[in-house]
Amino acid sequence: MARPRFAPSAEEGVIAGVCAGIARTLAVDVTLVRLAFTLLGLAAGAGILLYLALWAYGRSRRVVWVALLSLVAGSLFLHALGLSDRAVLGIALVAGGLALVWREGGGFRADAPVSYGGLALAGVGAVLLLHGGDPSASVLAPGAVAGALLLIAGPWLWRLALERDAERAARIRSQERAEVAARVHDSVLQTLALVQRHAQEPRRVAAIARRQERELRGWLYGDRPIGDESASLVAALSAAAADVEELYGVRIELASAGDCPVDDAVGALVLAAREAMTNAAKFAGTDEIDVYVEVDEEAVAVFVRDRGAGFDRAGVPPGRRGLAESIEGRLARAGGRAAVTSAPGAGTEVELRLPRSGS
Amino acid sequence: MKRRVVLVDDHELFLSGVRAELGDRVEIVGEAGSVADAVPVIREQDPDVVLLDVHLPDGSGDAIINAVAADRPGVRFLALSVSDAPEDVIAVIRAGARGYVTKTISADELSAAVERVASGDAVFSPRLAGFVLDAFRSGEHLGGDAELEELTPREREVLQLIARGYMYKEIAARLSLSAKTVESHVSSVLRKLQLSTRHELTRWATQHRLV
Repeated sequence: MARPRFAPSAEEGVIAGVCAGIARTLAVDVTLVRLAFTLLGLAAGAGILLYLALWAYGRSRRVVWVALLSLVAGSLFLHALGLSDRAVLGIALVAGGLALVWREGGGFRADAPVSYGGLALAGVGAVLLLHGGDPSASVLAPGAVAGALLLIAGPWLWRLALERDAERAARIRSQERAEVAARVHDSVLQTLALVQRHAQEPRRVAAIARRQERELRGWLYGDRPIGDESASLVAALSAAAADVEELYGVRIELASAGDCPVDDAVGALVLAAREAMTNAAKFAGTDEIDVYVEVDEEAVAVFVRDRGAGFDRAGVPPGRRGLAESIEGRLARAGGRAAVTSAPGAGTEVELRLPRSGS
Repeated sequence: MKRRVVLVDDHELFLSGVRAELGDRVEIVGEAGSVADAVPVIREQDPDVVLLDVHLPDGSGDAIINAVAADRPGVRFLALSVSDAPEDVIAVIRAGARGYVTKTISADELSAAVERVASGDAVFSPRLAGFVLDAFRSGEHLGGDAELEELTPREREVLQLIARGYMYKEIAARLSLSAKTVESHVSSVLRKLQLSTRHELTRWATQHRLV
């Protein structure tokens, strides 16, 4: 929150409104400010000088005069505290030098020029203080030098830290942008290109769009990472469903309760399920296939259902190995079993069940 | 008599698609593209069903349900969204929607779902059914009414068949129940979904500041 700029407030004040102005700028009680000035005033009149300096600043905004008057006021104050002339002069020189450094350096702007005059002045002041032989000054001096160094170097260090943070944030942002761009390029743009090329084939366009939707959704919602079909059963089934959709122009609705990692047996289950989806897409004569996968502690079950033509098991020629070999045989070898429920005209449901071994 | 329907969706393309598909099967009495627009339209029209997008520019669909449900108790809400994310589904169901279908639903299924919701039943997509089975499976819940925290074996069977893609009348035939009984099982699951304090449900709901 920005504070109001300091200005003497004649209407609120008692003398010239300097105290009232300070109180408003610093948002403190005006009585406290007046008390501070009164105490300073007792210190060889330092408070009175400071008051005058601030009043002059408020009228003309000439910093130089204020700085000089403040310097004199400060010296008077330190003198009143009992410091030797030499120590007071040293401190005054350090303060004046710092003021010059700050003024020419532009405060916290790190790229501003260094004020060598100011540094020299501060240095002379520090030497005077350190070799003053004044017992009270020797207590103050090391602190004063450290403070001076901090004041000079502080802004640059601060600025460096800020720059480093900003750089890192920018780097992270650009990495994220690159990742999104790569993802959009690899998937969405490719799909849009395919859609344009196949504009005359509505079923193919629908299948392509649906596959893209599935991928994008998996990426956005994080439930099915694309490109990582081995991660989980649901991810693998989702990928298989997308392939079958694309190949045969059907829609496959995949629902799931639970999930599990893919091992050899579960991998066989996925292949069997894919075969069942392919059969439904090829022979059922329907656009819609429902797949439901359920995983609990004991077993994994996958249901592939269509509402299409259906068939009579006895009527399937023995040469057609798809169902017996690719589904039932494969699952039996993995330790599971498959059950097919179908009747002409009533659709088909393939149920694949695999006991969970590892758990 | 045709059902009176209000469409709430901020995607003009999708709105016009639904209009074209449902236009002659239901009476579309109002449309809105934001929470702020939708509330007065629903109040004024008092429709049978509001087809509600889950994400709107100025809030989410459940804000509309919360704003309208108290003084228009006859209005039923059917959520319609591109999102299958469980938290979206749960947020809008717990706010009081009678069902949830995804935007890829066919026109026939959508009009059947509108009819079902209008007559007071619940509509679950296979995905929602699978999700509910998942959420109600594990043992963790926060106490409260025990009856609300578990699915009965029958409800579980019905949900499993929905997840497998069976329609209500097929489920009824398979389980030797009447269609009405199947519907009452689904409505009972919906009630549990809305009132349960199950950890999985409340966590999502709390994240969306519904509780």
